[in-house]
Amino acid sequence: MATQEAHPVTEHAPHKRRLKAPGKRNFSKPVRVLMLAALVLFSGFPLYWMLNTALSQDSELYGQAQGWWPHWERLADLGDVIGTVPIFKWLTNSMVIAGGTTLLSLIFAVLAGYALSRFKFYGKGAAGFLLFATQMLPEALLVVPIYALFASLGLLNGMGGLILANVAFTMPVSVWIIKGAIDAIPYEIEEAAAVDGCPRVTILSLVLTPLILPSIAAAAVINFFDGWNEFLLAKTFIAERDLWPASVGLASFIGQYLTSLNSVMAAALLFTLPALIFFLLVQRRIVSGLTAGSVKG
Amino acid sequence: MAKLSLRNISKRFGDTQVIHDFSADVDNGEFLVLLGASGSGKSTLLRIIAGLTDPTKGDIIFDNLRVNRQSPRERDIAFVFQSYALYPHLTVRENITFPLALDKFKAWHHIPGISAIARRIFGSSKEVAERVDSVSSMLELDEYSKRKPGGLSGGQRQRVALARALIRNPSMFLLDEPLSNLDAKLRAELRGEIVRLHKLTGKTFVYVTHDQVEAMTMATQIVILHNGIVQQHATPQEIYARPANTYVARFIGSPPMNLMSATVADGQPALGRLRLPAPEGLRLGTGPVTLGLRPEHLTVSADVDGPGLPGTVRRIEDLGADTLIGIQPDRTLDLKLWELNQDDLIWIRQTGQTRLMTGDPCTVALNAGMASYFDSDTGANLASAAEVSDAGMLSSHG
Amino acid sequence: MTLRTSISPPAVAPTQIQDAPSRHHMWQRISPYIYIGPAVIYLIIFMIIPVVQGIQLSFTKTPLVRPDGGTGVGLDNYTRLLSTPQFYNSLGATILYTAATVIFAVAIGAGAALLLNQAFKGRTIVRAIITLPWAVPTVATALIFSWIFNRSDGVLNEVVGVFGVGQQGWLVDPKYGMAAVVLTSVWKVMPLVMLVVLASLQSIPSELYEATRMDGAGALETFKAVTWPHIAPTVRVVTLLMTIWSIRRFEIIYLLTGGGPVDSTNTLVVNVYRQAFSNQELGRAAAIGALGLVLSLVVTVVYFMMERRNAAKEA
Repeated sequence: MATQEAHPVTEHAPHKRRLKAPGKRNFSKPVRVLMLAALVLFSGFPLYWMLNTALSQDSELYGQAQGWWPHWERLADLGDVIGTVPIFKWLTNSMVIAGGTTLLSLIFAVLAGYALSRFKFYGKGAAGFLLFATQMLPEALLVVPIYALFASLGLLNGMGGLILANVAFTMPVSVWIIKGAIDAIPYEIEEAAAVDGCPRVTILSLVLTPLILPSIAAAAVINFFDGWNEFLLAKTFIAERDLWPASVGLASFIGQYLTSLNSVMAAALLFTLPALIFFLLVQRRIVSGLTAGSVKG
Repeated sequence: MAKLSLRNISKRFGDTQVIHDFSADVDNGEFLVLLGASGSGKSTLLRIIAGLTDPTKGDIIFDNLRVNRQSPRERDIAFVFQSYALYPHLTVRENITFPLALDKFKAWHHIPGISAIARRIFGSSKEVAERVDSVSSMLELDEYSKRKPGGLSGGQRQRVALARALIRNPSMFLLDEPLSNLDAKLRAELRGEIVRLHKLTGKTFVYVTHDQVEAMTMATQIVILHNGIVQQHATPQEIYARPANTYVARFIGSPPMNLMSATVADGQPALGRLRLPAPEGLRLGTGPVTLGLRPEHLTVSADVDGPGLPGTVRRIEDLGADTLIGIQPDRTLDLKLWELNQDDLIWIRQTGQTRLMTGDPCTVALNAGMASYFDSDTGANLASAAEVSDAGMLSSHG
Repeated sequence: MTLRTSISPPAVAPTQIQDAPSRHHMWQRISPYIYIGPAVIYLIIFMIIPVVQGIQLSFTKTPLVRPDGGTGVGLDNYTRLLSTPQFYNSLGATILYTAATVIFAVAIGAGAALLLNQAFKGRTIVRAIITLPWAVPTVATALIFSWIFNRSDGVLNEVVGVFGVGQQGWLVDPKYGMAAVVLTSVWKVMPLVMLVVLASLQSIPSELYEATRMDGAGALETFKAVTWPHIAPTVRVVTLLMTIWSIRRFEIIYLLTGGGPVDSTNTLVVNVYRQAFSNQELGRAAAIGALGLVLSLVVTVVYFMMERRNAAKEA
């Protein structure tokens, strides 16, 4: 959070943020405090409860005996608690799937974003519409035909096939993020490179890529956690328990109380934590990236 | 040797024609300035020469090769941008080395990280290091070599851009308003620098600017463009002394040439009731004509009964060595000033100071021998009109 | 040095001129397609072809176990769908879920943004807490809430018990299923609304506030005159995005209620999944999918056209 405060500024208004006009106070103070408290409770409680559950004794969890305060002393035993579910195996699978999705998606996105930003060509509007419209297609409606397609291609029940399917859903947003980033780079720099003797593809790899690295990083985080969180395709495509990503693995415990819930919650916490940390690091870029991707059709 | 020839270059952007049928030959080693207001098409023309923009029509010929289809690199030119266009992620030294390093670029350098290492190894080789050193010391960049462009002032950045242009020893230098983002003092300094580089390299320079001072002080030839049409292509001296038309007359010189409506009867021009001697070597037809005189070809005196145009002093601008005096001619003269004259005044430049005060009546004497005469309809210089239109430079577009 | 007169125009015979060799020109023309091509081909293979196949599938009776061994049944799937109340129930659930989620998420999110736009101690930490749910993976969200909503041991029942309300089956009682699902969804997506609106609020120049303050405007007038006009376009965009995303949201609903209780949360996307993978009827699932596609297509096209019109207005 320290870095966030050091650069508390969005792309929108670097210099205006600190100036707070008193006219902005729309609510009286007690009302404001009350509403903020309600919001914090609403947003924060479920996460707190997840931690609390993970740190509870299994026996406390039933018959409404769960305490309101977490047993911090159980933090040390958490490793053993988690050990009862094969979460590390699943997290590794998640990592492979998310990593593969990110890599493949970014390669497509950098190339396509460059074309959309810098070239005029016949069919550009159609390509733009394709990239715009496909990000609106519901995953769940496509899962049936993609399942049928992958079944006939023999791509089911493997992480490779899952990565291929994920990329189709994550790539369009990345394209728009990269396009927006390249749009913001002065064109003269590319022209200078062309005069210096750079072929197009070298301009992209040698000059533009380093310049848009922050946006690439943001797109990478978005892609990675899309892959990390993805559930539906993974659940549909992968039947074998050992190949499950953590999302499918953890979902298998919902409504099933054979495995002790504190273990499940601890595992879920482990699954959630990387997403939270990365999100806090690149939050602003994610927000501007996502909206830019969808707004600039 | 690279002789640059442009043949019938036209450029359209959608419905707007930004360059009309431009042709010119530029010999090796010339310093050609493309001069014009914004929107005149000068930058587009430069970009067409560079290969950054394709012409709609016409040929770009280097020596006897048509280079229309060549990339900027294949044309062996260097281009200096108004915005410097340095690589922000590279240091000054890396920026300068970059064009050389590209010669050694291999496909596998696309793998992330490899190219940076390859460039470092290449940049530290003796031959390259010496060349970079000599160019950066020529432009006094040694002490900044490890900085990134973000940490440099505008003047320093433009020096880096010049160094990057020099390093590959190209056959031609193209400069697009390189000084217009700098303050006046730096501009004068870098002007001298660029002229020095031109002398040193002996290469052709094509330089785009809207600043007539840059054009007059640096160029060996000037092309004045207006709305995509060439107004005049000549040496700076020629352009100043014999502007091809009223546009050029008003564009060059500060304050610009005074233009007045004169009438010609019996080959003798007259300003209102003031009759002037017939110009030498030029036969004027009967009717209206526009007479142009540079401010330094007019003198003013407090003697209200002397020969010349009676008037009143309205403005005095003391520049130190010179004084500019703005004079409103007497209404009774029935003298029409050309519509663009600044503040409807006749401007006079005299050396030293004047004793006249604002509001004083005065008389303006004309050095009629230095007058230029322009067609009152087309604005073409009557002395050079024949010559100019033969050359097809001031064609029917005007 | 003699003064040159006007510099003479070119006079070289054109026959001498040859084209310089270059590979540049051809590349110039095809290179955009090389860059955009992979992405477009990829999307055609993994998006467009599945859509087309899905539509084809919807005219067949295809069992899950043999996805390529369907038999054509014409419009049978559609006529059956449109004649059963189950489909309209599903459509209704989709609309109810979408409307409720969007309204609450936008209202709470925008309100939170307004609150957080004011300086107060601890704002950073409060903003972080309110933002975090958005980053929580959906599966983890479902796990937490299914535990909170748990009938016998959930904390929600413990809380409402204090007010004398008996134990409720939040996820198994048809009265509460939809509400529970909407609550969970709002918890998860509201932060995005908050962040986007907050960014828009922070881009309002403070001079505007000063000007209205000097005119003596109160808080409400200021909001109406300055704040709302400035953030309205953002709120509109975010509302549309929320709508599109809500129509397609599957995981929260499927994981919490599986479409139940008694089909009360059986939205179109959940319905597709159940038809395909529980009832093993790929053809009928595809038919629901196709109809759902029409719904999201309509929303998308409306959105696209509004964006076009706004862009045209700005230009």
